[in-house]
Amino acid sequence: MSRSEIALEVKDLRTTLFMRDGNVDVVRGISFRVKEGETLALVGESGCGKTLTALSVIRLLPDPPARVTQGQVLLAGEDIRHVPEHEMRSLRGDAISMVFQEPLTSLDPVFTIGDQITEAITAHRKVSRQEARTLAAEILREVQIPSPEQRLKDYPHQLSGGMRQRVMIAMALVLDPKVLIADEPTTALDVTIQAQILDLIRAEQERRRLAVLLITHNLAVVSQVADRVAVMYAGEIVEEAPASELFANPRHPYTQGLLSSIPSAAGDRKHLYTIPGRVPDPRALPPACLFAPRCPYAINRCWNEHPGLVATDGHLLRCWNPQPFTALQAVEPGRVDPSVAASE
Amino acid sequence: MASYLARRTGYMLLILLISSVVIFYALRSAPGGPSGGGVLSPLSSQEVRQAYEKRLGLDQPVYTQYFIYLGHLARGDLGTSLVNGSPIVELLATHARNSLVLGLTALLISYVIAIPLGVLAAVKRNTWIDQLAMGGAILGMGIPNFWLALILVYFFSLRLGWLPSAGCCDPPQLIMPALVLAAEGTAVTMRMTRSSMLEHLRDDFVRALRAKGLPEWEVIIRHVLRNALIPVISLTGLRLGWLVGYALIVETIFRWPGVGYLLVDSVLRRDYPVAQFFSLLLIFFVLIANWLADIGYGLANPRIRVA
Repeated sequence: MSRSEIALEVKDLRTTLFMRDGNVDVVRGISFRVKEGETLALVGESGCGKTLTALSVIRLLPDPPARVTQGQVLLAGEDIRHVPEHEMRSLRGDAISMVFQEPLTSLDPVFTIGDQITEAITAHRKVSRQEARTLAAEILREVQIPSPEQRLKDYPHQLSGGMRQRVMIAMALVLDPKVLIADEPTTALDVTIQAQILDLIRAEQERRRLAVLLITHNLAVVSQVADRVAVMYAGEIVEEAPASELFANPRHPYTQGLLSSIPSAAGDRKHLYTIPGRVPDPRALPPACLFAPRCPYAINRCWNEHPGLVATDGHLLRCWNPQPFTALQAVEPGRVDPSVAASE
Repeated sequence: MASYLARRTGYMLLILLISSVVIFYALRSAPGGPSGGGVLSPLSSQEVRQAYEKRLGLDQPVYTQYFIYLGHLARGDLGTSLVNGSPIVELLATHARNSLVLGLTALLISYVIAIPLGVLAAVKRNTWIDQLAMGGAILGMGIPNFWLALILVYFFSLRLGWLPSAGCCDPPQLIMPALVLAAEGTAVTMRMTRSSMLEHLRDDFVRALRAKGLPEWEVIIRHVLRNALIPVISLTGLRLGWLVGYALIVETIFRWPGVGYLLVDSVLRRDYPVAQFFSLLLIFFVLIANWLADIGYGLANPRIRVA
């Protein structure tokens, strides 16, 4: 893999929340690479640090309280973690763009779609308003918005949710970035629209050779678009593999749990598997496997030693006691393992 | 929008009509009567007094007087002052102009101070700038304007001799009344701007705008402030109402010959035509201000415009 193919690389990234009652590492030494034309999905439940990872990359962390305290963020091989803010600003929206979860609230309600796209252009390029407007109409046509010239005059509230997300994507792509971060881009949309938006992202990615960092908790979305998947748990990556490999052969008990908790048309309709317990409190992490309290396979070592991320055939895993995947069985109510319940 | 405007205009006319009746009766039920600008004195005989009232129609029942007055108004006849006989049209021209100069200066001062400070306080939240601005705002809201007027006169006119203590209509004479008139509105507008800014700084679109690579000042001024100004604009309608009320006090203290000064003076002298007309005018002004604020709100907020 040549260096130039890697559009985005994150090395040993640590993000810390500086709170009054102590500092908390919410992203704990994460590393990943996204190649041109590739989609890396960052998967995990709420609060695992996936959005903070994305905001650390594009340097839009709410500061205070959050700050990147360690590691490197390489955009096309160049470290952007320490570039001055004005340089970072010129990269945002140009070399690296971001699409957010909620397309209505991510657009300024008092400006037209046209104004909001053209200002993204004029912030980075010396073009006339008219040229910017033409570019804006073109990009709207490209993301399949009907009668784009008319839509330029619309306000965000006049468009449907799916159209708004198309506008957000258009705005993110108008300057032809190398990297697109999509933070739960379909979560706020209904299912049929979700599929259209994912198709659109996929199509634009192929056309532009975009590197996409897709952040989601939805494994169905992941299976549709991701080339590789990194599963995050409590601020760490616990497993990373090509998507097909991960879905066929999940090795981490957490990944297995996530896959077992997807409702399937064929499976047992009565009880859905739920991973017992909850995400550990990041303020008091033990020197052990962070998943051990919720893990059905935890052995002694898991309680005493923090496992490292180990690669075998391009499949990264952070686990002392991996077991072959058999869909985990739903626990009947009242049959919760007392040791798990006690550890909560 | 058209039916909304028609309804608002209808309400406005109704309120004007009701207030005209109230004002008409209230003025005449106050003890005493017009002195005819020196024609009458406390020693004038009963006959002279009755002849005077008969000539002015003041011996008629109040409702008859009211309809006669309405008839005159409808013909564009505003009447004349009972004190000095000057036509109300002329009084209107000079006093309304003075009041407008004072009021607009006060508004201008307050927005020029309040909006930048409110934005700064919000952006530099919890720093000494914020605390200083908010401390100032509490003073501005807490100090009664007549007292502020006296303090300013004491320092700037009596102690320092920098500014004239009263009078009209040179710029130095305008400074103190305009400041006093602006004080409370500035404080309220500043607090409103700050809290509205803080609210919108938390909006999702702010992060999305930064993700587009917009310069920070453009995010703050063009986007956040524009959103934050919506309640500040609708506050303007209310503020114009207060301004009218405070103008009575401030114009009287500084002997600034505006509508408020004239109104207070005419009420004290029982100059019925002048008092009637100018109180109605002030009510009309407050109504129009609220009406304009509604329209301005619609212009600033596209979501209202379409609805």
